[in-house]
Amino acid sequence: MIRSANPLAQEPRYELIARVLRDNIRSGTLPAGFVLLEGPIAKVMQTSRVPVQTALRQLLEEGLIHRFDGRGYLVGVESGAVTPIRRDIRDLDLDIPPLVDDALQTRGTWRHVYDKVEEEVASCQIIGEFRIVETELADHLGVSRTVVRDVLARLQERGLIRKNAASHWIAGPLTARTVSEKFELRGIVEPAALRLAAPHIRYAEVEALLDRIVGDATVTSQELGEGLLEYCIAQAPNTALVEMIRSNRLLLSAVDRALIRLGLPRDEDAIEQYQTLFDLISRHPIDSACEYLRDHLSITARRHLARMKIVAVIPEAGAFAPYLSPQ
Amino acid sequence: MYITGDQTQLAAPPTLTRRSLRVLGTSITLLLPVREQARADLGFDIDFTELDFLDCQRQAAMVPSAYDIYEQCFHNLDIVWFWGALQPIDIARIREWDNISDLVKLGGVSKYAGRGRGDAPVKKLYIQPGGFLGSKPSRHISMLPTVHNMDSFGFDARVFGSGPDIRPSWAWLLDRRAKGRIALVDEPAIGFFDAALAAEASGELEFADIGNMTIDEINALMKFLERKRVDGFFRGTWRGGDEAAALAEDGSVAVQSMWSPVYGKLRRARPHFTEAAPVEGYRAWHGGASLSHHLRGAELDMAYEYLNWWLSGFAGAVMARQGYYISNPARARDYLAPEEWAYWYEGAPAARDLAGPTGDLAVFAGSRRAGGPYVDRARRIVIWNTVMDEYNYAARAWDRFVRRVQEGSAA
Repeated sequence: MIRSANPLAQEPRYELIARVLRDNIRSGTLPAGFVLLEGPIAKVMQTSRVPVQTALRQLLEEGLIHRFDGRGYLVGVESGAVTPIRRDIRDLDLDIPPLVDDALQTRGTWRHVYDKVEEEVASCQIIGEFRIVETELADHLGVSRTVVRDVLARLQERGLIRKNAASHWIAGPLTARTVSEKFELRGIVEPAALRLAAPHIRYAEVEALLDRIVGDATVTSQELGEGLLEYCIAQAPNTALVEMIRSNRLLLSAVDRALIRLGLPRDEDAIEQYQTLFDLISRHPIDSACEYLRDHLSITARRHLARMKIVAVIPEAGAFAPYLSPQ
Repeated sequence: MYITGDQTQLAAPPTLTRRSLRVLGTSITLLLPVREQARADLGFDIDFTELDFLDCQRQAAMVPSAYDIYEQCFHNLDIVWFWGALQPIDIARIREWDNISDLVKLGGVSKYAGRGRGDAPVKKLYIQPGGFLGSKPSRHISMLPTVHNMDSFGFDARVFGSGPDIRPSWAWLLDRRAKGRIALVDEPAIGFFDAALAAEASGELEFADIGNMTIDEINALMKFLERKRVDGFFRGTWRGGDEAAALAEDGSVAVQSMWSPVYGKLRRARPHFTEAAPVEGYRAWHGGASLSHHLRGAELDMAYEYLNWWLSGFAGAVMARQGYYISNPARARDYLAPEEWAYWYEGAPAARDLAGPTGDLAVFAGSRRAGGPYVDRARRIVIWNTVMDEYNYAARAWDRFVRRVQEGSAA
């Protein structure tokens, strides 16, 4: 997790937007009668419309703006005499304090964009090695470079990118060696974590997963893998261990999702194995489940390696986001 | 129990369209004489879709509904098998199963023959618990083994010499005497190993397991090849036999990767362009036919008929005439003239001119197949065409190398 030094970073976005509008109304930058529209404000603040709506409702309650016979709100108290001023708010040169701007962006956008970028950066690695250029990522996302740096720092922290000798950000390539090593690590730590987790396992959820395997033909091995992590392994009372397991799995899960997008069919064998595993977890001594998990992981590793071979015959064109440059 | 579905089936009118079987494959096996004879013998239509190696694999994995039979090689079976596109073949339904050679079933022509590194077909043959492919015998197989061969390279005897005393080595493929006149086959599971064998034979590099190279070894090989490219060693790369023939015919190569049928097509280059029997041994491959995942009932029966037909002799004889061996040679022998059998399988001098698969003259009377009889050649397999664990990485590095070679030769 990234912790910002900005004291405003923890404030909700609508509060920050309301604060900016309020200050600009009081200073006169936003004159009485000015028509406030959600869309342009969202653009100026680089957020979605939702927090803008909330901020405007708040200003309405405060009596700083009012409704009128048209779209949006008018600045000032309702008097009936003002003529609506219809201008683009971007021309007004609003005063947005740097701290607020920064907070808006980090609060408003880095989380908002992070998951998508992480998915793209992780899954491109099956295709090869890529360079990420900060400015291109900023343009692509429509955010500031400050935000992009936060995103990149987070990606680096999670082991998805690195800096090369020329100080360029590099992702990939994902090799069979990396995959084997990650599975080897899983085989060591996950059974150990499962053993530690035994007294804390959420058995009701495990039973629910078993019911789904039997009754729901749409259940996927990915969901079951997530369930195993969340309800069983991650219940281990050792946060460092759980954090390590999560970040070690990150790339592997992204590869799985990327392969599914390419058309990888449902994995019946894996689903059957999860059924056995959940059954062992919920009805038998935990040691048997730990042993089975170890076997399951070594089989999964082999299957994973075999499946990745198809990527070599997949055309690269259009298979990755535009800010990723093949190396 | 009362099954209403069956009643509807019985009530349906007889279908008037002629039955047809769709075969997806490569130029190795999709030969016109094979299709025509199969049509005549089996009484149903057969449609061929011929693609190059890579397109064929992609199509087979992604669109299994578009074909019934997939004819390809064992070494790239992983790509398609683990994508769930194929279904197991029941050996109980294969009439010739017991006559299929030990080269496939054991990995070598005899107990004492070398096994060869990489994807020996036996490693991908039998279906194991959990849907894996392996060498432990079971009732179900992934691909019916059919054609195969031991490949080497071809060289210009005017450059490298001729006669009984020459000892061709894979090192010739990167030899200074052929600088600027070298071509490799552009296929990352094939040409890549020609280059790897050449690098090892020349003493420049050594791989712990040439059949499953590490990232560092792949990097070292690519770096070595790049150095040779910059030094101007390569004339080009090719993807099909016709391109390889053209390069040899116009004299622009002195040594290159070769496929067996290409020798039969040479005219001007025939006197000097020679098939090597390398001292280090051969790079082998094994093809076969698989069943698409979607086949059921009558369609599946048709597919089995076609598989059985493939091993009934005629197809094996056609394959022999382009220099390829079949997994049950005894049946093919029934369809070959004694002189053909003697030349292709026994390594004897051709007693007369011999025709190729389409009837054109392929072998001149008196010539002899390099490497001798089948068994001698099969004993000397050192590597099989292989899709290594790091295939994805190696294939991309190889592609970049090939692009640079082509840009260089175009400039």
